[in-house]
Amino acid sequence: MNTAQKTQAENKAAAPPLPGNVSAPAGKRPYASALGPIKSGGTIIGFALLVAAFGLMRPDVFLTFGNLRNVLEQVAILAIIAAVQTVVMVVGNFDLSVGATASVSGAVVAQLLIAGQGTAVAVAGALVVGALVGAVNGYLTAYLKLSAFVATLATMTSVSGLAFITTDGTTLFGLPQGFMSLGQGRWLGLPIPIFMAAAVALVVWFVLRNTTIGRRWHAVGGNAEVAKLSGVNVNRVRFLAFVVAGVGAALAGVVLTSRLASATATSGDSYMLLAIAAVFLGMTISKEGTANIGGTLIGVGILGVLSNGLNIIGVSTYVQQFLTGIIIIAAVAFSRLGNKGVS
Amino acid sequence: MTTTIQHVLEAEGITKHFDGVFALDGVDLRIRPGEIHALLGENGAGKSTLIKILTGVYSPDAGSIRVEAQPMAFKGVGAAHKAGVVALYQELSIVPNVSVAENIVLGDELPSRGGLVDWKELRRVARKQLERLNQGHIPVHRMAGRLTPVQQTMVAVARAIAVEAKVLILDEPTAALTDHEIQDLFRVLRSLRAEGVAILYVSHRLEEVFELCDRATIMRNGTVITTTEVADTTIDEVISTMVGRRQDELFPARGVPGPGTAVEVAGLSGRRVKDASFSVRPGEVLGIGGLAGSGRSELLRIIAGAQRSSSGRIVVDGQECSHRTVAAALDRGIALVPEERRSQGVVLSQSIGENIAVGNLKAISKWGLVAGSRIRSLASNSIAELQIKSRGHQQIVGQLSGGNQQKVVLAKYLARNPKVLLLDEPTRGIDVGTKSEIYGLIRRLATQGTAVIVVSSELPELIGLADRIILMHEGRISGEVPAEGADEEQLLTYCYGRAAS
Ligand SMILES: Nc1ncnc2c1ncn2[C@@H]1O[C@H](COP(=O)(O)OP(=O)(O)OP(=O)(O)O)[C@@H](O)[C@H]1O
Ligand SMILES: [Mg+2]
Repeated sequence: MNTAQKTQAENKAAAPPLPGNVSAPAGKRPYASALGPIKSGGTIIGFALLVAAFGLMRPDVFLTFGNLRNVLEQVAILAIIAAVQTVVMVVGNFDLSVGATASVSGAVVAQLLIAGQGTAVAVAGALVVGALVGAVNGYLTAYLKLSAFVATLATMTSVSGLAFITTDGTTLFGLPQGFMSLGQGRWLGLPIPIFMAAAVALVVWFVLRNTTIGRRWHAVGGNAEVAKLSGVNVNRVRFLAFVVAGVGAALAGVVLTSRLASATATSGDSYMLLAIAAVFLGMTISKEGTANIGGTLIGVGILGVLSNGLNIIGVSTYVQQFLTGIIIIAAVAFSRLGNKGVS
Repeated sequence: MTTTIQHVLEAEGITKHFDGVFALDGVDLRIRPGEIHALLGENGAGKSTLIKILTGVYSPDAGSIRVEAQPMAFKGVGAAHKAGVVALYQELSIVPNVSVAENIVLGDELPSRGGLVDWKELRRVARKQLERLNQGHIPVHRMAGRLTPVQQTMVAVARAIAVEAKVLILDEPTAALTDHEIQDLFRVLRSLRAEGVAILYVSHRLEEVFELCDRATIMRNGTVITTTEVADTTIDEVISTMVGRRQDELFPARGVPGPGTAVEVAGLSGRRVKDASFSVRPGEVLGIGGLAGSGRSELLRIIAGAQRSSSGRIVVDGQECSHRTVAAALDRGIALVPEERRSQGVVLSQSIGENIAVGNLKAISKWGLVAGSRIRSLASNSIAELQIKSRGHQQIVGQLSGGNQQKVVLAKYLARNPKVLLLDEPTRGIDVGTKSEIYGLIRRLATQGTAVIVVSSELPELIGLADRIILMHEGRISGEVPAEGADEEQLLTYCYGRAAS
């Protein structure tokens, strides 16, 4: 019926003969900046310098296998929490409740064990608690559209309260030996938490990179509006990221309880800020400035080496804390500096 | 069965209001398979809102949609995709931090096996779509954020055509493209039409509509005025139906530039700009043409302090400027209205008044205090002058139609009364009626002594509006002609870097 119009339209379309591909001669690397390579490598170089500095100061202590193992053991739990925080931050949110979730899960596993449950049941119970907290966070942010800051700050507060209720404000101990091997046992001469952290990081890396949900996390984090209008179920994708964070935090709490052979209402709290700091440090190594698991691990490494090294050379924990803050600012500011010339 | 499906998509009585104000009021739209159907109307007429309803982004307050005679109640874009209705939304771009390939199959089920992405298949599908658009040179594994703006738009187009649609909807796909890509896009749209796909096409470039479309539905103020065969009507007739009155002359009369030099640029180089020299007199409108990527926008950005120069001089009013920031340039009286309005020009979550005020805080404040009444009067003036279709200065910019957002950006900079006004694609996405208002406004500023530099991809716009035109090719100025009586063909040869014979 409209063939006549088509031919007419096509005739008009044939108007100016244009030569071949003309639009993008300069488009090869349009946003590359001179600072690019330094910027993305800066944090890694900083990490290397840090190791070298401590190594030079105390080669006898710092650069030993035993100390390396110590560092790894110290950061294992942080690495687990930071890995799942990475997922939430890839989606463009963050979760302030991971520390409190670790605390409450650690308390729950301890109470279940004390009540005579088997290790498997107790651990599963703790993970379910973590998943529930994550689900609440996810529901509030994804479906009720609360800001992640408000939602997770609120759950952090409530969950902290639950942790106190669970422990009754006391320190829970007297846990069975079988459970303790989770945090204190060794395999191939290395503490088991190291393997767990490595496994979590590997899984997160693989999921973020190669699975459909992982790619959707990236898409939503990059431009949620585009993702939504392309048919991605943005709410569900966000929701799942928070559930993952909850479960990961709970796992970390379980390992922590096992390692300490006890649980208190606040054991895991301090990991929240450190985990976010690690992810931020890690974001500085990606050109796009997005959260990424490799970077997060380097961030965790920096924080771990810093605390270990400063301990070895005898710096007080207060000064350590001060220096940690400065280092985070320096790393992030430096990477922003590199960004400025681009936009 | 003898009855054939006459319409692939039928929308009836679609009504939608936002906070009590009607955006659509009983709209009927019927689209046949194998036609390219234009949807036309002024900024704020309701085109984008209708499209969002057809694809399940908004739910209508009343009305029904049928796809191949099946009643549809879309819940979300995913459901519309399944029914074969796919849209490329206005000003929707890409996800910067994932690959080009993933952008193209975004949302569409990623090719996967057991939850794992099948990268090979993904890249193959993506490459195929890009090749259809003659964009096979775009590497599919590259982060989409690193492409040029034109390439990003083409990736977004590729995403829309990647879904096997019965109805493909495109909301101003060509606003950010140049002729070359536009022709590639049209070729694909025509072949889709030949395959029986129905295409709903929104554009403010009416020449384009007459070149491409079979039928047109014209909207005004949230209602459909008429649906007609394109062959049976004329551009003038369409315009007067759209606007509700006859269109006067599109371009204002040219003025007489004042004496002296307002800005002079000598040997200016920087990213994508090589050795540019020219000058503009007060009261003169200088047009800059060229292909996408020829360095036009970058040249403006350097002059406005938004991008660094590596060498060269900028002289304003006889004084050399060494500004390195936009703020410093603004203090010297140089204002740039940027090309990418959503990312560079407006804060979508703030009101019209606030957006205009940010750019003019000095004028409306005293001792650091901002007077609310001045924000109101400033904003109300702008709204009236640029015919910003809104519910008043308190309306959030994100709720305005695409063209009206653009007007807010313009208003913000025009209100400063700059000495040198730089405009990058000032009428992109703006309807014909308002275009002529904006041309008039630019000319009025020039008459008051402002030097104006306009970058535009539309050569007729440059010819009609400017006093003088320079053309750029690969970062260099390749030609200069007086605008009066300039010839498009000749300008094009400069754009392609060939000397006119
Ligand atoms: N989310 C929203 N909230 C409130 N009002 C809205 C919203 N979206 C659109 N509107 C209003 O609905 C009307 C129609 O807008 P729409 O975006 O459909 O126009 P349009 O025809 O696409 O215009 P343009 O050519 O400028 O893109 C406008 O007056 C706009 O302000
Ligand atoms: Mg629109």
